[in-house]
Amino acid sequence: MTPERFRAIVDAYGADARHWPEAERAAANAWAAQHRTEADALLAQAAQLDVWLASDAAATDMAPDAALIERVIASAPDNRRPREQRQPRRLSLTWPGGGSRRAGWWWSGAAFAGVGLIGGLAGAFAVSFFLVTGNPSPGPESSYLTTGFGGTAADWSEE
Amino acid sequence: MSERDPDAELVAGVGRQEPAAVRTLVARKLPRLLALATRMLGDRMEAEDVAQEAFMRIWKQAPRWRGGEARFDTWLHRVALNLCYDRLRAHREEPADELPDAVDPAATPDAQLEAQSREARVRAALAALPARQREALVLNYYQELSNIEAAALMGITVDALESLLARARRNLRAQLAGDDLAGTRTSR
Repeated sequence: MTPERFRAIVDAYGADARHWPEAERAAANAWAAQHRTEADALLAQAAQLDVWLASDAAATDMAPDAALIERVIASAPDNRRPREQRQPRRLSLTWPGGGSRRAGWWWSGAAFAGVGLIGGLAGAFAVSFFLVTGNPSPGPESSYLTTGFGGTAADWSEE
Repeated sequence: MSERDPDAELVAGVGRQEPAAVRTLVARKLPRLLALATRMLGDRMEAEDVAQEAFMRIWKQAPRWRGGEARFDTWLHRVALNLCYDRLRAHREEPADELPDAVDPAATPDAQLEAQSREARVRAALAALPARQREALVLNYYQELSNIEAAALMGITVDALESLLARARRNLRAQLAGDDLAGTRTSR
């Protein structure tokens, strides 16, 4: 520890050794003990400002008021409600053996898959039907290609 | 970072939405956040807003918090400081480390100075500091962060931190000059 470094420490961190760099604290204290007069002169000047800074600590570091504390706690996610009330609102479909937290998700997925399966089956049925009959109906396509004056496959005369 | 984060367990509890953990974390961190923001902004009401916003970030981050990357307290200080700087920018106070020309405590009438309490005068002197000097002083002196933690939080070297601290203390002394720092009258 040099006099210059001791001065730099006190200039930056003040007279209270608790604020000094941990790695240099012991050496700085030792230097101060060995150079009491010189150290005291530096420390006294810094201590004056420390007294002022400490006076603000008493005023500013007061406890937050209860309303603020409650507001902050209330902003935490779902922590005020009992656990059983904290489940997200979902369709309450559960298996007989016990509730499943993911029932809603599961059922919506199953419904989606079911619709896809039904569509697939309907398509397969139509293809197999045409293959069996071997004579697909001209259906709406031929009537679509004709004009209203040229007659249509459908007979509307009775209407 | 080999040192164990003293908040890690509590943050994990908050991530699991445990009410007791939430209450404990609020009791542990709210006073520190409030003090930090009050000193940075010089306004208690704005500081309360910052503290509440900081806790909203905590609730969001806690379920994903992974220890070992940074101390929770350091992360929280950074969040709060960023929120403070957002507000300071809104008031057109840019993070600078030079004393603005406009600050002239000598221009304040003596009678008004006399009427101010000691705390109010220190608060005014702190508020008049350039933001980076104030940040360094608040982190090191009031929040009691080590020089290494404070420098890392500010994204500067320890040498740069010491320079900011020394200038902050010098400026504060100048701001409060004319008053007896120790409570007794001395010559000016």
